[in-house]
Amino acid sequence: MPAPRRARARLACGLAATAVAAALALAPLTRVEGPRREALAWLAGAALLLAAGAALRAPSLLAPALLALLAEYTIVLLQGGDRVDAAAPLVAAGLLLYAELGSWAREANPRVHDERRVLATRAIGLAASTLAALALAALILLAAALPAGGGLARLTVGVVAATGILALVALVARPAATGARRR
Amino acid sequence: MTRRPSAKIAAYTGVAALALLAGLALGRPELVAVAAPLAVLVVAGLAGARDPELDAEVVVDRERALVDDEVTVELSLRAAARVERLEVLLVVPPGMEGPDGATRTWATAVTLAAGEERTLAVRVTCRRWGAYWLGDVHLRAHDRFRLFTWERRLEQPSSLKVFPLPETLRALVRPLQTQVSTGTHVAAQRGDGIEFADLRPFLPGDRPRSINWRATARRGGLMVNQRHPERATEVVLFLDSFQDVRGAAGSTLDQAVGAAASLAAAYMRQRDRVGLVSFGGFVQWLQPGSGQAALYRLLDTLMETQVFATAAWKGIRHLPPRTLPAKALIVALTPLVDERGVAALFDLLARGYDLAVVDISPLTHAGRAGGDWGELARRLWVLERETLRHRYQRLGAAMVEWTDAVHLQQVLLEVEACRRRAGLAPG
Repeated sequence: MPAPRRARARLACGLAATAVAAALALAPLTRVEGPRREALAWLAGAALLLAAGAALRAPSLLAPALLALLAEYTIVLLQGGDRVDAAAPLVAAGLLLYAELGSWAREANPRVHDERRVLATRAIGLAASTLAALALAALILLAAALPAGGGLARLTVGVVAATGILALVALVARPAATGARRR
Repeated sequence: MTRRPSAKIAAYTGVAALALLAGLALGRPELVAVAAPLAVLVVAGLAGARDPELDAEVVVDRERALVDDEVTVELSLRAAARVERLEVLLVVPPGMEGPDGATRTWATAVTLAAGEERTLAVRVTCRRWGAYWLGDVHLRAHDRFRLFTWERRLEQPSSLKVFPLPETLRALVRPLQTQVSTGTHVAAQRGDGIEFADLRPFLPGDRPRSINWRATARRGGLMVNQRHPERATEVVLFLDSFQDVRGAAGSTLDQAVGAAASLAAAYMRQRDRVGLVSFGGFVQWLQPGSGQAALYRLLDTLMETQVFATAAWKGIRHLPPRTLPAKALIVALTPLVDERGVAALFDLLARGYDLAVVDISPLTHAGRAGGDWGELARRLWVLERETLRHRYQRLGAAMVEWTDAVHLQQVLLEVEACRRRAGLAPG
């Protein structure tokens, strides 16, 4: 594949990621009415800018972009009352799809010629992980709807999960050199 | 291999942790559902991350090539564990060109199954003469979830010498003096040979077959033919590599090296002994030799010629006496840009060497300067060079300017004509 085509592949990945982010940022606006909609629109705009920046230009903006999209969704969620939001699996899959497409755009270096097999494996993996995210989020929502014991058990599970994730954060936040080993 | 976590891990983990905490605090399962895929992907990635244990080998298909030849660099890759994406980057040295016209680097990405062995053949085109090291390869393996990369640099350099395309030379500059060994040059001395030299009276010990019966009949006494023997010569190619004037179409050093290689091959074809003195940032020399081995030795040394900026020999003005054999013809290839090279040639003339100078014009490579001052400077430079050439010619050196448009053969013929006019060439 010649270099200009590879550059176009990178741009296409970045634009696809931006499109997914746009859907994630703009869809919640339809669920809010009144003056709060304007404030949320500003947040959505900022989130979209960050997301586009992360996908097309500055990969270091990935975490802020994800957080902005998540914050917008949380606000809309809280506006909706106590009813469980059935669109949450779509949001989960969308967030993962956006992040993975952005990461693919970063990986698609125009100077590196990717074999067709590499691209096919990546595309299949992306589709599979998006579907798996959709299914997992749906399962969690279903599990949350089941009358499984009291609030304490659920809280314990939540605390353990959050602690595990924080431990992961601590593990990942270690300097890269400590995880490195030379052969 | 060096393992590096990607920025994605921190982003995913941080976002998942915050979403989980928010879900707990606000009592919203939707936030947990949103966080879960990110968290699961990181956990799965961490659990499955394994060093791919790559084995790699680089082989270059040959050691010597000509300019514009294609050389194949074979990369053999084998991984113990599956590698979803393996980036292979080959450093292409300046003067060479990778596939699709890639300069500096050429990279590809492949997938490797566990235990699979792949061989990538990369065709590299040699665009400029020189000595190269090929085999600087960087490998970067990605895991399935792109959470970790493993990097490794292969340093298995293979040397490659790229020779300039030889020019066909039919006539060479003939030396004034010959050596004692047999060759193809007609010597000025008399002895056994083919070329007729003179007649003289018969002396005891002369061979009967050398008697010239016609002259004997005319003169009434036995006369014998005297002949010129065919002898070999020693030629030293003097390469001034103090400075290189480079333009879009090439450089003075490129011209000099190409000419030296062609001259060396042509002289050795006629069984002369050829040596080399590369006079630049440091002095390299090869004593004259003949035959294929000597030719390759000379070309190998020639390919290592480069402008080498050093202060160690900054005051050098003359060559060490041992570098130049007596009675040798010295063919100097110089752009007459650096005063040390200019002074060294004057020194050789003063020491009585048989010197022929090819002045490789830097004017064509330097390009045209803009404005009146640029034009004036160029004219002054041309005048300076002409003055210098006249000074050499007054001292007895045959010197001809070689512009880019002229073939080397034409320049050599002009040098030979100059030498004949000055009484330096035989015949």
